[in-house]
Amino acid sequence: MNFNLSSSPHVRGADSTRSIMYDVCIALLPATAFGIYRFGLYSLLVLLVSIGFAILSEYAYQNITKQEVLISDGSALLTGLLLGLNMPPHIPLWVPALGSMFAVIVVKQFFGGLGRNFMNPALGGRCFLLISFTTLMSDFSIDATTTATPLATLAAGGHVDRAAMFVGFTTGTIGEVSALALLMGGIYLLVKKIITWEIPVCYIVSFAICVGLFGGQGFDSKFIIAHLCGGGLMLGAWFMATDYVTSPITKNGKILFGILLGILTCVFRIFGPAAEGVSYAIIICNLLVPLIEKVTMPKAFGLEDVKKEKPVKEAAAAVEEAPAKEAAPAAKISMAVYKAAMNLCVITLVAGLLLGVVYQVTKGPIKQAEIAAQAEAFKAVCPDADSFDEAPDLFAKAADVEGKYGSVVVDSAYKALDASGAECGCVVNVTTKEGFGGEIQVSVGFDAEGVVTGIEFLSINETAGLGMNATEESWRAQYAGKAVDEYEVVKGGASADNQIDAISGATITSKAVTGAVNTALALVKAAQ
Amino acid sequence: MKLATFRGGVHPYDGKEFSKDKPIKKYMPKGTMVYPVSQHIGAPAVPVVKKNDEVLMGQIIAEAGGFVSSNIISSVSGKVKAVEPRLLPSGAKVNSIIIENDGNYTPVEGLGQKRDYTKMSKQEIIDAVKAAGIVGLGGAGFPTHVKLMPKDPNAIDYVIVNGAECEPYLTSDYRAMLEMPERLIEGLKIMLSLFDNAKGVIAIENNKPEAIAKLTEMVANEEKIEVCPCQTKYPQGGERNLIYAVTGRKINSKKLPADAGCIVDNVDTVVAIQMAISESTPLMRRIFTVTGAGINEPGNFEVKIGTSYAELIEEAGGLKEGVQKVISGGPMMGFALSTLDVPVVKTSSAMTCMLEDEVARYKESPCIRCGRCIHACPSHLVPQMMMDAAEKVDLEVFQALNGMECYECGSCTYACPAHRPLTQAFKQMRQAVMAERRKQQQK
Repeated sequence: MNFNLSSSPHVRGADSTRSIMYDVCIALLPATAFGIYRFGLYSLLVLLVSIGFAILSEYAYQNITKQEVLISDGSALLTGLLLGLNMPPHIPLWVPALGSMFAVIVVKQFFGGLGRNFMNPALGGRCFLLISFTTLMSDFSIDATTTATPLATLAAGGHVDRAAMFVGFTTGTIGEVSALALLMGGIYLLVKKIITWEIPVCYIVSFAICVGLFGGQGFDSKFIIAHLCGGGLMLGAWFMATDYVTSPITKNGKILFGILLGILTCVFRIFGPAAEGVSYAIIICNLLVPLIEKVTMPKAFGLEDVKKEKPVKEAAAAVEEAPAKEAAPAAKISMAVYKAAMNLCVITLVAGLLLGVVYQVTKGPIKQAEIAAQAEAFKAVCPDADSFDEAPDLFAKAADVEGKYGSVVVDSAYKALDASGAECGCVVNVTTKEGFGGEIQVSVGFDAEGVVTGIEFLSINETAGLGMNATEESWRAQYAGKAVDEYEVVKGGASADNQIDAISGATITSKAVTGAVNTALALVKAAQ
Repeated sequence: MKLATFRGGVHPYDGKEFSKDKPIKKYMPKGTMVYPVSQHIGAPAVPVVKKNDEVLMGQIIAEAGGFVSSNIISSVSGKVKAVEPRLLPSGAKVNSIIIENDGNYTPVEGLGQKRDYTKMSKQEIIDAVKAAGIVGLGGAGFPTHVKLMPKDPNAIDYVIVNGAECEPYLTSDYRAMLEMPERLIEGLKIMLSLFDNAKGVIAIENNKPEAIAKLTEMVANEEKIEVCPCQTKYPQGGERNLIYAVTGRKINSKKLPADAGCIVDNVDTVVAIQMAISESTPLMRRIFTVTGAGINEPGNFEVKIGTSYAELIEEAGGLKEGVQKVISGGPMMGFALSTLDVPVVKTSSAMTCMLEDEVARYKESPCIRCGRCIHACPSHLVPQMMMDAAEKVDLEVFQALNGMECYECGSCTYACPAHRPLTQAFKQMRQAVMAERRKQQQK
């Protein structure tokens, strides 16, 4: 009789690498499904391309380098899915394809394949794309309408709808919009014991605390919740930061890792130039993992006290034996661990703050340069002005007037200053979505009394010969120099100051532009 | 009530239903008996019989070869056929005394004589345990008389009976607790009589409620004995883990249970002490489980030490068609057998017959750093890093990672989703380190 021979143990647990990878994919299903529902079938195509190229790249690389082909372990599938979920919904298909190839071949295979990569492949791929194709990667428009992501709006001081953010009716990458769906997936992972609580919980809690401390709004639950639901935080905390390969394996290491992530993400979001910070925070912390593991080695059972006891005896001996440098090495080791952990936190914080400070310092001059560049355009609507400056007080009232005259958003507001530097009016830039051909951006100038001095189109895409006639000087001039509270569109000749003669055959355009001007006017009146 | 337990461990399929309701059957051997001189930790015993000698049942046929060693007793009467190397279930080849069983079981003088332990001195009891050749029957085989002689007997405040039986499939201790509780309790009382300050604790995993109920009832009037139900989790019965679960004290590989004020012995060992002291019967038998999906009639047997495994397979109805693996012991720490022609030794607790060998089904794949091995390790080690050291055969790093604290329970290998042979590598590393240390000492 021939029996199998092997060393004990002779039984194995039910989970395998493949079952774990597939479980993570299952956990991502709610977010994936919501993303496709929200952004349409094209986003499914984005996901399929990114998954397909991830698997293909792995297959090709392992074939070419004559390794065993391991695509069935599901790790390439997961990398592709995660990368796809990190894509804007209307990205050209070659972008996810390129990103997947970079993620699998450069980030993963070049460093030794599964288990050896030093940073999360999907995030490595995403950051590569973010740096290389910034515009494409940050175009989150829906139905050809440019809309700021909730985080960008938050960063600009605007207001966001938290309920919509929680459920996912906002803009962002395919997989990040629904905090609810991601939370469901996270709970699935916890219940299935695929991940432990340490990383996501420490990440989210430390991030919330940091936002409270440094966000400039105190511990305002609305602001913090918006930050928690916004951007890639949920996707990152539950699915990216918990990537086995690139997170610490020790329990305390996971806690420290989560805390560092929270701090870094907050620093990037609050002080950094971009609204988002999750991806960069995670890949930077990925690089810290070996160090984190070194300082968080668990103590072996029965050896916990050995290190504590020793120093007492040895320290006593050291006193008798005069200056022994190696006195109490064990005590030094345990102190060193705490010191190293503290140092890590401090370094992260300082580096992050430095980045933030540099940004804050350069932010002013950069803004001034931008304003100077726009000054020429502003002078067209505000001829008396000599220079312009930001008007945050005015802009802060934007939420009060938006929506009063249709779907209009206030983009920015500037003070107009005369040659002596005194305030002599203002310029308000607004965008209406009610144009016949989509959005119309209008710049409206006012004098010190709040009377319109002129309007100029920053962007308009109306029907040539009809709506486009709005750009004619003669029609635009109707708004200027009239001390009124609200304009009204009439057909067949204006008789009163507040009446605007509609462009013949383009009533929609006329009304849209008037709505935009009315919004700007209401803003100025509100601030008076 | 909060159950006693430890941090770490795994929950493998326990497979106890095959044999847990099968009463212990006495099995009388048919073939020749094999008695290896090394069935315990420590120096091999020295044979005191030679070829063609006649021996009696209960006669010492090999004497302890040192302080940490143990006598070997013949469990049958008959004639010595040979003294030659034979294969052990563990795979080692050890000098053995082969005895032709005459089937008469003629006892040595005084065998089975009743004694009253309360009338014996502590030294008499320890000497009797030593003469009876008793070692830890749970698997380690540490000579019991050495355990019973700690430096300071007054510092011992716990005598723990290890009835956890956390190893999957095994039911021998469970049946012993159900069927011979009087012997067990008396054996524990004998041990307690050696340690004035100690109380007795019978630790049982809570997957054996009948045993917990029965023993709790029986010790209700015993002032110094209590039953401690433990959480069902492998390796609850690991000595260090059990001590922690019961007392909250921690020991490492360099310490003995006595350093934490504990004496720990397996159920069957305590029964063997009772038989040796109260009935003048040395260690000649043990309880043995034959189980698994691959055997026709799984069951528990009281077998004579020296009986061939092949005979027990036959007694249990024979192997089923297509058995892939036969394990001496349970699936977590047992030894895979290449042949059934091995004798039951003092430390053999079971034979597990597997229809399907799970190990053969899986292929090793790269570590994905999931950290499950860390979670599973009852010694709170980092198997993932130890494996790195093992792959590079770096003895220093392995020791720096406290690799020598590993007691090879197999939890990490069980938990590993990449199916890496962690425990297997650690066994080799530990042997290499020990060999290196011996070399250093000799210099």
